[in-house]
Amino acid sequence: MGTLDYIWLGVLAVFQGPELFSILGLPFSITLLMILCGFLLGIVVGATPGLAGPVAMAISLPILISVFGYTPDALLPVMGFLIGIMKGATIGGAVPAILFNTPGTPDAYMTTLDGYPMAQKGHAKKALRVAHFASVSGDTFSDVVLVICAPFLALLVEQYLDLPEKTALLILSLSFIAAAVGGSAAKGLISTGLGLLVAFIGTGADFYPRLSMGTEALSQGIALGPAILGVLIIGAVFHELAGQWRHRDVVSRPVPQIEIGSDRLSFGDVRKLMPYIGRSAIVGTMVGALPGIGSTLAATIGYTMGQRRHEKTAKPDEPAFGEGAMEGIAATEAANSSVSGANLIPVLSLGIPGNTAAVFLILAADSIGGFNPGPSVFKFTTDAVNPELVIAFGLFTAMFVANFLNWTIGGLFMRSMGVMARVPKQLLLPVVLLLTLTAIYVQETRLEVIWFTLAFGLLGYGMRLLAISPLPFVIAFILGGKLEATARQAFDATGSDPFFLLNNPIAAAFMVLSVAIIFLASRKKPDSK
Amino acid sequence: MNKHHFQNINVVTGLFFTALALLLLLVWIPLDSDTGLIEKVRRQVAIGDALAPTVAAVFLLIGGGLLMLLEGKRDTPPAMDAASVKFVVRVFTMLVLGFLVMRYAGPLAVEVMNTIQGSDLEYRLLRDTAPWKWLGYVLGGTLAICGTISLTEGRFSLRALVVALLAIAAMIAIFDLPFDDLLLPPNGDF
Repeated sequence: MGTLDYIWLGVLAVFQGPELFSILGLPFSITLLMILCGFLLGIVVGATPGLAGPVAMAISLPILISVFGYTPDALLPVMGFLIGIMKGATIGGAVPAILFNTPGTPDAYMTTLDGYPMAQKGHAKKALRVAHFASVSGDTFSDVVLVICAPFLALLVEQYLDLPEKTALLILSLSFIAAAVGGSAAKGLISTGLGLLVAFIGTGADFYPRLSMGTEALSQGIALGPAILGVLIIGAVFHELAGQWRHRDVVSRPVPQIEIGSDRLSFGDVRKLMPYIGRSAIVGTMVGALPGIGSTLAATIGYTMGQRRHEKTAKPDEPAFGEGAMEGIAATEAANSSVSGANLIPVLSLGIPGNTAAVFLILAADSIGGFNPGPSVFKFTTDAVNPELVIAFGLFTAMFVANFLNWTIGGLFMRSMGVMARVPKQLLLPVVLLLTLTAIYVQETRLEVIWFTLAFGLLGYGMRLLAISPLPFVIAFILGGKLEATARQAFDATGSDPFFLLNNPIAAAFMVLSVAIIFLASRKKPDSK
Repeated sequence: MNKHHFQNINVVTGLFFTALALLLLLVWIPLDSDTGLIEKVRRQVAIGDALAPTVAAVFLLIGGGLLMLLEGKRDTPPAMDAASVKFVVRVFTMLVLGFLVMRYAGPLAVEVMNTIQGSDLEYRLLRDTAPWKWLGYVLGGTLAICGTISLTEGRFSLRALVVALLAIAAMIAIFDLPFDDLLLPPNGDF
């Protein structure tokens, strides 16, 4: 088995997987249908302010697992669906940003700056076309980088990093995520500490389940689903509902009906946009490859870079950034969309989830079994087939299938989603709340998990209230068990050396970096905004 | 809220998590783990169960300390005020109520039926039979959704009730009708 054989097997796993139907003898696989459904659903939720990809993933995951079961055959259809949602939500967020000045997803905020003025001038369709073209270009670029980088990074890790270095790398990742997410290193550390603490409840090597206080409920440990969905989804819904309640007496202004127009994107326009898209795609991909840094930062950097270039190169009669420049939309959308593919580099190559989409892919893999994202996936065994590697190349194929859908039907579907911004949030959010809780129940079938989820929802709300990002909590919770297991193995392998993290140069460098990152981030001045 | 108030919030948060970390390090972890930081197993030293939670507590301790000492002066305003917190507690209570109704409505209805008809039905045996299996979910779910909408809007409306009933019907159609092996809440508990 060579590398090309594995790639081919991955492609076949998507196209010739479990068959749904056949046309003229050509099979149409269920995975393709799931990618398509996920992609369309992603556009819908992305275009709905208050909803986002993670909500759709949280609700659909238990349903998908019920449909496909806990067999390795379920991995590609389920994960393909999640990848479809991730990609669809990325472009969907631009729709209400352009048509109604309301970003569908947080990273589409910068799109409103030029998208809405363009729409007001009667060029809404062109603005949507620019957003779609830039978004898909950035996304495709990012996926190409992912496919090239993830296997190499994994091979490097497997070749050069032993157990002590892997333990130090996990600590470095947690420290980096704590420092990078949310703008406060101290709050990031608190979030990480809480996530680790919850991960260690009811677990351990001893017969007695530690930190369980002798209770049955805690002695089983905290399940991934209730904790993650509680903090990420239920906490966010509580927060949104509170926002709605505060503004319940504010009479909303009627949203002006925007004339969509019929502008096309000419070749000249594309040529003009390409430098902006190219720069933003590179920035977004670099930002995305680092775990924990979200697409909002990439969008801000991309927009600012684009603005500088535009000030130097624009003709006097062209609108400036912030006044309806299509280059502004392109710079933002290319940057925030190119984060999504690169965000999967740390999860696939190192097993370290860097964003919420990666968290849900890990949840799916963990629930179904048979695929453990991390460096061991990329073992190019020659004597026998490595099924995890086939799944990895199947996932890459699914991403390119989603990109193909994005290039072909994505724009058309996206432009028809303007109506979603009119769905009242105060009606939608309670339904989402019960839908998420029901989805959790049907998988776990114990009311106990609902109480746990609601309690973690309160924790998630409290964290948002104190401006503590929940993402480090979730990532630390997922990595906690792995960190302890690796540390135990490293300790044993080094003959119980208590300084195993410092005796090895690479591990020591990672540890120094971990401390330096926190030190530098805590000295950083807060954002002026 | 003034700047001073924001500083206090960071300091109080830092203080809270520092105290929590100390409680963990000095009380909870030592008392609630059977092995210490390290343990000796067959003349070999191994990592004990208390080490990993200690690392978590150290993260909290450093985070709380940094928040108090270095970031106490930063004005990072919290997103909501006390009234919003009360509102979320009310929503939380409404959801708990909804799920309690969901849990007990079905068995209670069976009891009432037994009393009226003198039958000997058991909810456990009816948990996958319509309409019993939907009773708790419809009543509790409607209460949860309609109650949350009403709390958010500050008033009860017929629209909220209709939305809740339609949403519950849609959820039954999604989770229950197509799948034989899925159980709606609370039927998995019986």
